[in-house]
Amino acid sequence: MTLQRMRCLRLAFLGVAALVLGMGGLAAQQPVQEVKLVVTGDVPTPLTLNANDLATMPRESAEVTDQDGAKTTYEGVALQEILKKAGIEFGRALRGKALAGYVIAEAKDGYAVVFSLGELDPDLGGTRVIVADKRDGKPLFTYQGPVRLVLPADKEGARSVRMLEKLEVVKLRK
Amino acid sequence: MNKCCIPALVLLLATPIVVVPVFGNPQMVNQPETGEYHWDLPKGFPKPRVPADNPMTPAKVRLGRYLFYDPRMSVNGMESCSTCHRQALAFTDGKAQALGATGESHPRSSMSLVNVAYSSVLTWSNPNEHFLENQALTPMFSEHPVELGLTGKGEKFVQVLRSDTVYRELFPVAFPAESDPFTISNVTKAIASFERTILSAGSPYDHYHYDGEDQAISESAKRGEALFFSEPLSCFRCHTGFNFSDATDFEGRNGAKIEFHNTGLYNVAGALSYPPPNVGIYEYTKQPEDVGKFKAPTLRNIALTAPYMHDGSAKTLDAVLDHYSAGGRTIMDSPYAGEGSHNPNKDALIRGFKLSPQERLDLIAFLESLTDEGVIHDQRFGNPWKIPQ
Repeated sequence: MTLQRMRCLRLAFLGVAALVLGMGGLAAQQPVQEVKLVVTGDVPTPLTLNANDLATMPRESAEVTDQDGAKTTYEGVALQEILKKAGIEFGRALRGKALAGYVIAEAKDGYAVVFSLGELDPDLGGTRVIVADKRDGKPLFTYQGPVRLVLPADKEGARSVRMLEKLEVVKLRK
Repeated sequence: MNKCCIPALVLLLATPIVVVPVFGNPQMVNQPETGEYHWDLPKGFPKPRVPADNPMTPAKVRLGRYLFYDPRMSVNGMESCSTCHRQALAFTDGKAQALGATGESHPRSSMSLVNVAYSSVLTWSNPNEHFLENQALTPMFSEHPVELGLTGKGEKFVQVLRSDTVYRELFPVAFPAESDPFTISNVTKAIASFERTILSAGSPYDHYHYDGEDQAISESAKRGEALFFSEPLSCFRCHTGFNFSDATDFEGRNGAKIEFHNTGLYNVAGALSYPPPNVGIYEYTKQPEDVGKFKAPTLRNIALTAPYMHDGSAKTLDAVLDHYSAGGRTIMDSPYAGEGSHNPNKDALIRGFKLSPQERLDLIAFLESLTDEGVIHDQRFGNPWKIPQ
């Protein structure tokens, strides 16, 4: 291949690359998924929360280091706040039979993780669980969202349920 | 990586009449690069971990690239690292099992070198092989099987390097503090430095995922992504993170466990459930529960690296999905007959799943979206003896 021909090919390649990049720049961002989080089970007030509901509740954020070493800031609502909105009581009311309760966080693909109510209470276990709907200020990736759990203190991500759809409270002693 | 670079040195060293390769543009070696190496890391990629005794420098990378493509590094003078790690195939060789310089077949399939800087372990089944500098000695000097075939010919090879006009310029620049830089140790350090530069993050999926370009991948690939990251399939549990492999390491990552997996590919009769010599890390640990456990390789550029699995026994991505969807491979009427799904060491995640024809197409479309055409054409990774600098 002559040098001249190689140069032509290189220019052609750059042209195509520029076109592709240009198209990319004009392309729409990944579409925002519709938030629909169901809170159900043994709760006084079953809920179906949308994006606006989450946006108007007390917000908090946490910076976590993901498995790739990147620092990422997740933002959302404390799981405890959502449960309180559904009528679950914490603090001094969470004693006796009430401590035999737990919540199942279930994802769209069936993945599920359990947290006891005592574990979530700041006066007891104090495990911080955020129901996040933003990642570095943007909506979550398709396979993460539209909402997910984030547990900043966990060493591994196994309990940080992605594609969260449902929170089901179960009380074993009523 | 297990099999490697064997070719060209062999001939040169074995025969009194040496066929000298066509060497590169000498102008290139008149432009020595000095100073620190600056990583040009893609978005989302952490800084690779580099051994303290072999810091990256542009000069070592340049030297390593020449060595990587030098066929004089084999007993037949026809093969090099690049024989089993071809750029066009994402630095694999397209064979089920690699062939050494003497024609001996390697038991395992060539691993891709793309993003090898992030590999916490380097080969399919050696849990102790962590450093490229050390690993390079295997293809050069191994005898079972013979790869490049340099055993007993190391000093001769060094003499070849010492007498070469290109290397006479490159070695002293790469190792300026050494009075005699022509050593096997420095050969492997330079090759390792070059290999660490082979980074790939320009796939359509990267443009979609990291750059937010919604149209970079097809709707089918997006559906495939959701399947890949779903609980029923759980592909992402082993092929995880930015490099789609749980055998990943980088600077600042501490305590990452290195996992090896038995996927139920075999369940042969006898004391070992996998056909020897490919018995997984059991070869090193001698623990019965380790039979059949292999590294989960990166899935980047996977569409270019067929055939698949440690022994190349799955010819296509379709065959791979057949295996995983069945929860293990069943082999009939062969010396390897057996139901892999019943392998006693099978990973609990290999439980099988159902895929509709469309879902299968979607999953493959996703895997194909991980192909980075740039890395297979990038001249920085090409043969410097042929490419004008």
